[in-house]
Amino acid sequence: MTNAANTQPRPRFVPGQPDMWAFVLFEALVFTAYFVVYVVRRTQSPELFLESQAHLDLRVGVFHTLVLLASSWSVARCVQAARERSFRTALTNAFLTLLLGFVFLVSKVLEWAAKIEEGFGFTSDEFFSFYYFLTAIHFLHLLIGFGVLAICVHQLWSPARRSQETIETCATYWHTIDFLWVLIFALLYVMR
Amino acid sequence: MNAGFEKRLSVVLLALSAITLSQLGVGSLEGHAALRPNATITSSAIVIALIKVRIILREFMEVRHAPVLLCRLTDSWVVLAGVGLLGSYFVGMAIARG
Repeated sequence: MTNAANTQPRPRFVPGQPDMWAFVLFEALVFTAYFVVYVVRRTQSPELFLESQAHLDLRVGVFHTLVLLASSWSVARCVQAARERSFRTALTNAFLTLLLGFVFLVSKVLEWAAKIEEGFGFTSDEFFSFYYFLTAIHFLHLLIGFGVLAICVHQLWSPARRSQETIETCATYWHTIDFLWVLIFALLYVMR
Repeated sequence: MNAGFEKRLSVVLLALSAITLSQLGVGSLEGHAALRPNATITSSAIVIALIKVRIILREFMEVRHAPVLLCRLTDSWVVLAGVGLLGSYFVGMAIARG
């Protein structure tokens, strides 16, 4: 027999706190403004930007993107597991997200170090000014993301603290780091 | 964990990863071709990135289960970003050509 509750459509809900969504949309607009300025400047001296862009390794950009996509996947699994009260699985996925974030962090620092060693610093040319600005501001969001994930782990650790809304809010922030990187990757590594 | 939801998340991750890996093909452009502006590659890169962003919003961030207002707001931003990026690219290129 079909359970009546299962046949009813699931009510719509805002994942996490609405305030976090306001912040996400604000951040998305701010980054869009940065991106538009970058594209406009790029069109004014395309050869210079392309020459400098050739010094970036597309494979490294792809690797960073895959790592962050996987971290988004694991934090989404964390949310779902917490919703189903499988807190052990949720905690495992939260730690997996932290690990993937750390892999991104180390890889990004190594990429910066390699570029600086090759002689491409913040003031080398306009492309590298944008490259360091966009990746550094994204990196700052990543560092905040570690704090946010720490709150998520803190929530999951003790039965007395587990707030599904807080866990969803933390996940929403982490996904924002992912989708902003997807755009940065397209603009710095792929576009011609 | 709910097997259906878990499978859906994994399929989404695989699709996003496959799209990302397919962009490695741009790296095969060598020499002169790599150093020339290419409107097709640029517009494809922007459109593909926005499609990926929308998938992340709807699937990983669960906007597909959210109230209509949040769906509309996130979709509006994706459209705005697309118009802003593609518009600034093509208008900028036209101005640069004089």
